[in-house]
Amino acid sequence: MSTDARDAVEDGFGHVSRTVGTVFRYLLLVSTLVGIVTLGVLLVYVANDAIRPLTADPGWHLTFVLAFALPSLLVGGYLYRRDKSALFTGLNALGVPAVSLLFASAAAMLFVDVVPPLIWFAYVVAVAIPLVVLLATTRYSHRIPFLARVATLAAVTVASLGVVPGAIQSLPFVPQAWLVVAATLGVPVAGVAGTYADRRWGRRAAVSVAVAALVATVAAPFAGPTIGLDPLPATVLMALAGVPTAVYVGTVVVNQPERRVGLLLPLVVVAGALVGGAVVDALGFAGPQAWIDWQFLTSDHSNTPAEAGIYPAIVGTILLMVVVALASFPVGVGAAVYLEEYAPDNTFTRVVDVNISNLAGVPSVVYGLLGLGVFVRYGGMTPGTVVVGGMTLALLILPIIIISAREAIRSVPDSMRQASYGMGATRWQTVKNVVLPRSFPGILTGTILALGRAIGETAPLLMIGAPQIFDLPTALDARVGAMPLQLYVWATTFASPEFYTTALAAGVVTLLVAMLAMNSIAIVLRNKYQREQ
Amino acid sequence: MTRENMTDEASSPADGGDPTTDEMLVETSPTAGVSESDSGTAGGSRTLVEARNVNVWYDDDQALNDISLEIPENRVTAMIGPSGCGKSTFLRCINRMNDLIDAARVEGDLFLRNKNVYDDDVDPVALRRRVGMVFQKPNPFPKSIYDNVAYGLEIQDKEGDYDEIVERSLKRAALWDEVEDQLDESGLELSGGQQQRLCIARAIAPDPEVLLMDEPASALDPVATSKIEDLISELAEEYTVVIVTHNMQQAARISDKTAVFLTGGELVEFGDTQKIFENPDSQRVEDYITGKFG
Repeated sequence: MSTDARDAVEDGFGHVSRTVGTVFRYLLLVSTLVGIVTLGVLLVYVANDAIRPLTADPGWHLTFVLAFALPSLLVGGYLYRRDKSALFTGLNALGVPAVSLLFASAAAMLFVDVVPPLIWFAYVVAVAIPLVVLLATTRYSHRIPFLARVATLAAVTVASLGVVPGAIQSLPFVPQAWLVVAATLGVPVAGVAGTYADRRWGRRAAVSVAVAALVATVAAPFAGPTIGLDPLPATVLMALAGVPTAVYVGTVVVNQPERRVGLLLPLVVVAGALVGGAVVDALGFAGPQAWIDWQFLTSDHSNTPAEAGIYPAIVGTILLMVVVALASFPVGVGAAVYLEEYAPDNTFTRVVDVNISNLAGVPSVVYGLLGLGVFVRYGGMTPGTVVVGGMTLALLILPIIIISAREAIRSVPDSMRQASYGMGATRWQTVKNVVLPRSFPGILTGTILALGRAIGETAPLLMIGAPQIFDLPTALDARVGAMPLQLYVWATTFASPEFYTTALAAGVVTLLVAMLAMNSIAIVLRNKYQREQ
Repeated sequence: MTRENMTDEASSPADGGDPTTDEMLVETSPTAGVSESDSGTAGGSRTLVEARNVNVWYDDDQALNDISLEIPENRVTAMIGPSGCGKSTFLRCINRMNDLIDAARVEGDLFLRNKNVYDDDVDPVALRRRVGMVFQKPNPFPKSIYDNVAYGLEIQDKEGDYDEIVERSLKRAALWDEVEDQLDESGLELSGGQQQRLCIARAIAPDPEVLLMDEPASALDPVATSKIEDLISELAEEYTVVIVTHNMQQAARISDKTAVFLTGGELVEFGDTQKIFENPDSQRVEDYITGKFG
């Protein structure tokens, strides 16, 4: 017997069949690709209708391939081979201005069309006063009893909100709108940039960075008109997009010399686009007759696709998102902190637990009905307004926020809590000093992803009676529409082959860009968070 | 011994509103006669912590069985024994960290300066402000080195020059020379041994009366371990140190008193370290110490 065994080994060890495993593996690959391919087909299909690249002159394409696409690809390939982290830096240096520009544009829309700068200024001052009082009381007088502090703060807040806005609006002179915005945005932005610089490069650099940010913001309204921007949007764009981009580029240049070469990519991309544009203009090549263009983004709804625009829907979406974030974030995070840090493990909390998971799966139509019932029927609010829509959407994403915030809080290592309790910290001190700071990026990521879901919801807006044809909403109690609702209306009420392949496609692209911009922030935050752990 | 004065001055003018602290402070009168340690050879030091018939259950499992011992002031007391024998559980009884575990139930009396810490009027949070703790795995906060050390001062609302206290604590923890120039950097960027010394600095910054150490060197390499050991011997000049360790040589090197716990949460023998290691009364202890543990 033993000889047989030895002979068998001398022939080799034999083979074990891998057929099933191989088949299984490729099946898994296919199921992975289904999602990506579907998304890709969808995007190409819609983008083709929205942008219509084939309507451009061949010369236009040739120019941009030579001036823009080829150099960008070459530089990208060079960076990829040389140093992947430099390529990553280059992509970031493209992404930061792109995304911050989108958000800054959203803010600019609000300043131009919705919130009169003077009223904005009045309320900023009215809110700043209690904040300063709050800071002063926590920093300089630990000895004031808690209740007295709360009472003082409440009194100051009420008084400030009651008196200051009226006083400022009745000032004998009216400051320029851009000046007001430059002050209210420039100062906090300079403060944030200064704090960032202080942490990285020390006190002296912080002062110069903050001053530079402030000067840039105040100078923007004068520089804006030279490139065709109005003073007000120029100020907002500089404060919310220009300064962050400059700070990012500055960080790369100062702190990561080996990655500086990556900045070549954004340079080539921007220069290529500018050169290509200039050449196309000079030679008279016609560009694509895209449906998604400046006219589409800035016009109201119209019965004809050629004149239809999505501007009121964009502003409506922005306002809704502001309300949703303000309403759902504090409630959701509060519930998560309670359930994770305070709640005893008993039947009640387990019931709450299960129900939150169920609520996350309730169809959005049902939430729309709930909003209609609670806010309109019993709350007596006007149907279809920004507040009602925002609060209904907030209810919709509340369970998602709670679940993701709990996940983030649970990921804080227990040894941190032990360390804090071991030092004699109370539960509140532990939550405030250890748990929340540590889990905040995760909480923020979850919230942004949840907002990304709310941005595309149509059914709740239909249920709460949002109008099919709507104007620019200019107040919280104005009737509102949103981008997905606008798309729905174009696809139903105005259903026609023209709309399907024109305005509708352009609207879909706009909505997707807004959603992807929000998700990209969440992804960046999550990556940063994971790196730090 | 300057310890008496330090305690009275430093351990809590800031906590004026807390009845527990005041009450416990009042009871610091000398009571050497009541609770003198059995052997008397530990230099005649007063007893600071006294356990009387302490039992601990996790749900239905008994983790500690009728523990009674007296921990002398300004000495190092070591707790040794095999895994799962309850020595860490006993340590966590002293500052009531077991309260944080729902399943844990403590019975018996445990006195800190003759005040039973399990009395109803004792606030465990106030108690923990007077009993510092260092854990097995270094667990600095993801904050700067400075903020780590100042954490206890801030949450306890201590008065005084924080810069100076932070510097003094880091010096006492033998870490100052290594981190002097990087106080603003994150505590997580230090090496494991440095992190543990940072945790020690953090624990002693608010000037506690007792310092509990739960296997503080078990996650460290030999060099870092010997640094921590030197440090513990120095700390015993000012603090009462209670240390749990797996390492018998370590207990023999650094402690004045040793408690041997064996399986089932029993305290088998407690006495002067020298006696425990050279001539233990119990055969089981001798077997354990000589490695014949059965």
